[in-house]
Amino acid sequence: MNWIAQKSAQFFITIFVLIAISALPSLVVQLEFVPTNYWNGIQQQFSQLAKLDEITYYNVTAQRELPLLPDLAPLMKETVIIFVTSLVVSVGFALLYAYFFYRSGKRVRTVLQQTSQTLEMIPDLFWLIFSQFLAITIYKKTGFDRIEVAGGFAEYIRFLPIVTLTLTILFFFLKWLTKHILEEEVSLFLELARAKGVRPAALFWRHLLPNLVYRFYLFFRSNLITVLSSLLIIEYLFNVQGIFRFAVYNPVMPILLVILLVVYIPIFMLDLLAEWLIPNAWKGGI
Amino acid sequence: MRRTLLRDPIFMIGFVIFASLLLLSIGNTVFRDGQVDQFLNRYSDEGRLIGIPPLEPSKDQWLGTDRAGNDLFQMMIEGFKWTVGICATVALGRMAIGLLIGIPLAFRGARVNRIFKMVLDGFLILPISLLAMMMLFPSFFFADSTMVPPLLDRVTLQLTVFVALGLPAVTLYLITEVRQLLKQEFMIVAETLGGSVWHRTRRHLWPHLVPTLVIVIMQQFVQTLMLLIHLSLFGVFFGGTVFLFEGVRPTLFEWSSMFGFYFTQFTATTWMTNHMFLVPALGLSLLVFLSNLLTSRLERAFRLRRQEAVVTEETMSQAEAAAASLADPFTLVHADGKLQHNSKPS
Repeated sequence: MNWIAQKSAQFFITIFVLIAISALPSLVVQLEFVPTNYWNGIQQQFSQLAKLDEITYYNVTAQRELPLLPDLAPLMKETVIIFVTSLVVSVGFALLYAYFFYRSGKRVRTVLQQTSQTLEMIPDLFWLIFSQFLAITIYKKTGFDRIEVAGGFAEYIRFLPIVTLTLTILFFFLKWLTKHILEEEVSLFLELARAKGVRPAALFWRHLLPNLVYRFYLFFRSNLITVLSSLLIIEYLFNVQGIFRFAVYNPVMPILLVILLVVYIPIFMLDLLAEWLIPNAWKGGI
Repeated sequence: MRRTLLRDPIFMIGFVIFASLLLLSIGNTVFRDGQVDQFLNRYSDEGRLIGIPPLEPSKDQWLGTDRAGNDLFQMMIEGFKWTVGICATVALGRMAIGLLIGIPLAFRGARVNRIFKMVLDGFLILPISLLAMMMLFPSFFFADSTMVPPLLDRVTLQLTVFVALGLPAVTLYLITEVRQLLKQEFMIVAETLGGSVWHRTRRHLWPHLVPTLVIVIMQQFVQTLMLLIHLSLFGVFFGGTVFLFEGVRPTLFEWSSMFGFYFTQFTATTWMTNHMFLVPALGLSLLVFLSNLLTSRLERAFRLRRQEAVVTEETMSQAEAAAASLADPFTLVHADGKLQHNSKPS
């Protein structure tokens, strides 16, 4: 009961904060901070909350104002497809890498560590431009034109955005996983398991990994903003018809509010699920 | 620490590149008054027209010129100090204010901190560049190039927004770090012995916080740079965007603005024959790479320093072995593994 009360309090506080954030664009007027204007903006956003279905946006193709909510679904679908696919792919690759790293000897480890460290320093922007450049060079050289470099109104572009976002997230994960495997490796429970004759594969998948799951989730959660920033710029540059690109092209406060809610509510649900589903023992409790 | 860094060739090379670029950039302002040469049409010796801007990279113009005939190499040199200056100011500002808010809060109870975290949680899901774009766009879009407000006003506002938007994340991170340090044994001892908050902060907390702070500054530096790049891709250049008849134009020679500016031109024209876009793009990628490299070398240096103080494994095992073979269970054991034979009458 206490838990439910706490979580609902958190939910409502965050909704308030999100409304305050979404009103921030009204704070700056003509190169000055104007608090009264901000206050009006917050009130306006609150009244907007009661009539979310009345929000409209200017549709360029139809040349008129259209209601926002029914048109938001396909945009969200694109964003979710790209985000979830890259997340799943990069988590999969990261786990395979982690296992390989765990099983390999000292010299291989050094090579792996240094390679991933160097690759991790390269900004996502470089991957973005480099992948577009590569696709076009391949087209010029071989005439292979199945790789899209930019989406259009009714064309979906998925391959390159997913590749770029996967690379960004992947190197992010690799560094964290390497560090924590090295840290956990010397812990006593692994020593005991090893002494009892548990095979190395089981040692990794059954003993080491469960201990990292919850911390990994927390790490991912606290760095989500970086991933979303990457997603934003990827959507913008590849012309993906997703919600972030939509927000860039329609920079008004009501739409920002809707986007914030649409992003926050699933994350909140995910938080609840993670806290509820991940067993206590995995969180370091007994 | 300093010796480790001085002996680290990778760190030194990175540092020298960084410092010399900065010196060149400042030198350009001091000795040449921030001038960037313009090359218009180029003629051969016989007076034949052989090139119009944008010129390809050549022996005379190392990185070529843009459409207006500005020498790209000189522009990059001139802009470096702006880009680095902005990022460094924002990173330092975020950290200083984050410390001022974070340290007093970290000394409070867990409840206050939980509420604080809950309130700021909303800031951790929205891409900062989107919000910054929406806040800055109306004020920084000038339709008339003669009506641009003074540079100082524009820069102050923009820097304030950048610092403020990144502040929640930095503050939360610093609070977590400080609270973790406060749980350490030496901090508890210092508190028990009656050290005031100020004393504990200055004497015990600060020396342990410095490595974290250096890393945080470098990370914030890169993040600010990415924010600048994103904003300039959205058309909000640092210092404002001037709307001209033929399109938009930034008001400063600054790397991220140059990138955004040429990117819009580049998407409109052909692919990759366009060196104008590649120069700032590669420059920015290299700058991010360089900063990340310096960060990782600093991290390594701090790690090595920490290892010096720690009791090594060997003496630990020696101490254990000594403890296991004690004749008298109450014989004292030194940390260095030697048994202390006290002359207790048996």
